[in-house]
Amino acid sequence: MSIVDRLLAIDRRWIFLFVLMAVTIPILLPLGLPVTTTGSTRAAFEYIESLKPGDIVWLSFDYGPSSAPENDPMAEGFLRHCFKKDLRVVVCALYPLGGLSLANSSVAIVAKEFPNKKYGTDYVNLGYKDGAEAVMRRLGENIADAFPTDVHGTPISELPLFEPETVPVERRTIDRVQVKAPGSEVRMGIRTIGQFKVVFTAATGLIGEYWITLVNAQFGTPIIIGPTAVSAPKYYAFINSGQLKGMLGGMKGAAEYEQLLGRKYPELSKFYMETRLFTGTKGMDAQAGIHAVIVLFIFLGNVAFLLARGRERKG
Amino acid sequence: MAALFTLAVLSFLYKDNPIFRLAESLFAGVSLGYFVGITLDQTLKPNLFEPLRTNFNLHWDLVIAGLLGAFLYMRYVPRIGWIARYGLTTYVAYYIGVEFTRKVHGEVLPQMARTILPVRGFDFSGFEAFFASPGMLALCAIVGTYSVLIYFFFSREHNAVTRPIARLGVWFLMVSFGAAFGFTVMGRVALLIGRLNFLIYDWLYPIFGL
Amino acid sequence: MTELHFDTGRVLLLICFGLVPVAGIILGLLAPSLRRQIPLIVGFVAGIVPILSLYIPKRFLSAAGEGMSPRLDQYLIIVAGFALPLGIVNVIQINSRRVGRGEKGWPFALALLIGLLLMGGFGVYGAFSGQGIGFLPSGAPTPFQWMTDWFFRPLQATIFSLLAFFMASAAFRAFRARNVEATILLIAAVLVMAGRVPLLDFLAYPFPPLHPLAASLSQTMGRLTEWIMDVPNSAAQAGIIIGAALGAAAMAIRVILGIERSYLGLGKGD
Repeated sequence: MSIVDRLLAIDRRWIFLFVLMAVTIPILLPLGLPVTTTGSTRAAFEYIESLKPGDIVWLSFDYGPSSAPENDPMAEGFLRHCFKKDLRVVVCALYPLGGLSLANSSVAIVAKEFPNKKYGTDYVNLGYKDGAEAVMRRLGENIADAFPTDVHGTPISELPLFEPETVPVERRTIDRVQVKAPGSEVRMGIRTIGQFKVVFTAATGLIGEYWITLVNAQFGTPIIIGPTAVSAPKYYAFINSGQLKGMLGGMKGAAEYEQLLGRKYPELSKFYMETRLFTGTKGMDAQAGIHAVIVLFIFLGNVAFLLARGRERKG
Repeated sequence: MAALFTLAVLSFLYKDNPIFRLAESLFAGVSLGYFVGITLDQTLKPNLFEPLRTNFNLHWDLVIAGLLGAFLYMRYVPRIGWIARYGLTTYVAYYIGVEFTRKVHGEVLPQMARTILPVRGFDFSGFEAFFASPGMLALCAIVGTYSVLIYFFFSREHNAVTRPIARLGVWFLMVSFGAAFGFTVMGRVALLIGRLNFLIYDWLYPIFGL
Repeated sequence: MTELHFDTGRVLLLICFGLVPVAGIILGLLAPSLRRQIPLIVGFVAGIVPILSLYIPKRFLSAAGEGMSPRLDQYLIIVAGFALPLGIVNVIQINSRRVGRGEKGWPFALALLIGLLLMGGFGVYGAFSGQGIGFLPSGAPTPFQWMTDWFFRPLQATIFSLLAFFMASAAFRAFRARNVEATILLIAAVLVMAGRVPLLDFLAYPFPPLHPLAASLSQTMGRLTEWIMDVPNSAAQAGIIIGAALGAAAMAIRVILGIERSYLGLGKGD
């Protein structure tokens, strides 16, 4: 059997072994390779930087554990950025297969780093809701219709972040039939998604697209998306059509955002260098290694293929 | 435990084995149980049961929603399985109606608007400057988008005019799919990096006191 | 005295989604041929209301809190909640049968059932005990959260991470420059893979004199990759998005009008 034939018939478990080594070695021996930033990530970062303290933003966990290594660093980076800027954050999860647990974990992790932030006033976790598009349609008119309570079961009208106020209600009649009794009711100052400065959706799959094509299109709320790398290519079309304010594409996008955070906020740079949590930057060395291996495999595969084809033509 | 499950699943790479299949079955069961928990606690309780319990006068009509949802489960009752069609048509037709508006308003119109661009402003000062100039970007956007759309027009056979344009569309698609493959590699590998990072830093290192 | 809140929107929804289905069920029990037709009428209303509400600013249709459309959105959040665990009944039936009859693979079916019942049971307990399914006020996890953290998350994450290996194997075996189009795809893929990560810096790492050159080439590769994504990729994606969206819109009209009924298990003749 010639080398070409042996190469073409190689047992795939050898390929698996090379992949495993290409990922494991950079994790054991971090190289600290540089991370360059791209326009879409810089645009997202600068948009958040342009917001003022007290502005309110929405963070949606639209991914599950299957893409957590990519999306967790993005969502946590965004949350840290918002807390540094003293923005108010509303968190929710619309992805059924694990979004809620990831939202709970990430919020708990970042909240511990910012002990001055108070739940209910500075940030709120609304939990998970079924029916993504129906939920988004309701957010456009009345958030409480979709999320009557937060993740703990507290009515959102009791959360200071939504600026509730008790207002008197007058009797209302139609054709002398009373349809509304006099009394008082709680009205919320923050009532619709249109009042939010931005929605950041860390997404896998279609839910991220729904925020862009439904919430941005119908209610005008700016959107920043943190998709997995698998779905990132299609969002370039939405960036160019002006439907997105920015994008963090995959783990590289998360690493870029961490770089930008580190440059702007030295204490976050120190945090990212010292933390044992998994971050996007930590994964980039292994990404470079595996890309090198896969490019090598593609090259070898094509060389073997061309040599085999040349041999067939000769013979 | 998480580390053992990780290793059990990774053992599939060597060979399909009972440990992997056990982990896989457990995963399937736990995922379905997860759905039950989140749906009951996060959707049905706050959006259906609590409003009916606390303010029935205002929310009485949510009973209709509950019934429609319950109808979906009639498919498992042999003789009255057809009742599930009421829940199913409501669910499917509603979301398709929302999709209709979302697709037209949020995808077709903005993407078409994006191709209505003036093709001017070419910068010939250098190679990179030329390809990054507004005129070139606009030209690529228009030519690329419409050649791809012409390729996808299968209602009529391509003729001498549309065939080369469709071929150009295929080339744009190949660039896009190649780029998508590159990104897919990044995405899939990131998951593996996450798991191995967990195994090494959260399991092995603490065992060795590192 | 209790006073139910009535408004035009709710009354219309009661008629369309309450009375019509009930009448349809009664008629369906008497005349089987009506079991196919009446659900399609309900479906038509469910599909047309969200579309019309965008264009017709009438109070009964789109007024906040009172209109048919806002209220229907709330109904469908609840129906989606019922729909999500729908497959569970089927899974329990199949796997219980497998375990009960001692069929091949029954231990795995048992493992599935145990996982489902435990996790589902913790979820039900959390929902109805008031504990919730996340963390307790003390910071300790509820049983549901504990199982999520130590069973669900690691299992799901690892099963999907297997894809990296199979993708590498597939790239070696199937990624061939057989013709012009395949070559373009290959070149684009390699350029993007090289440009998105510090690949050249990684390859030059053992050779310090090459670091400045590698850094400069990396920057150039990065800009090239960004151009590929921003220009040709974006244009092609726009074409795909427009084409797919128009197809989906056409399918939506067919479903709403009842022309397309395959989702109900009905063919063209039914």
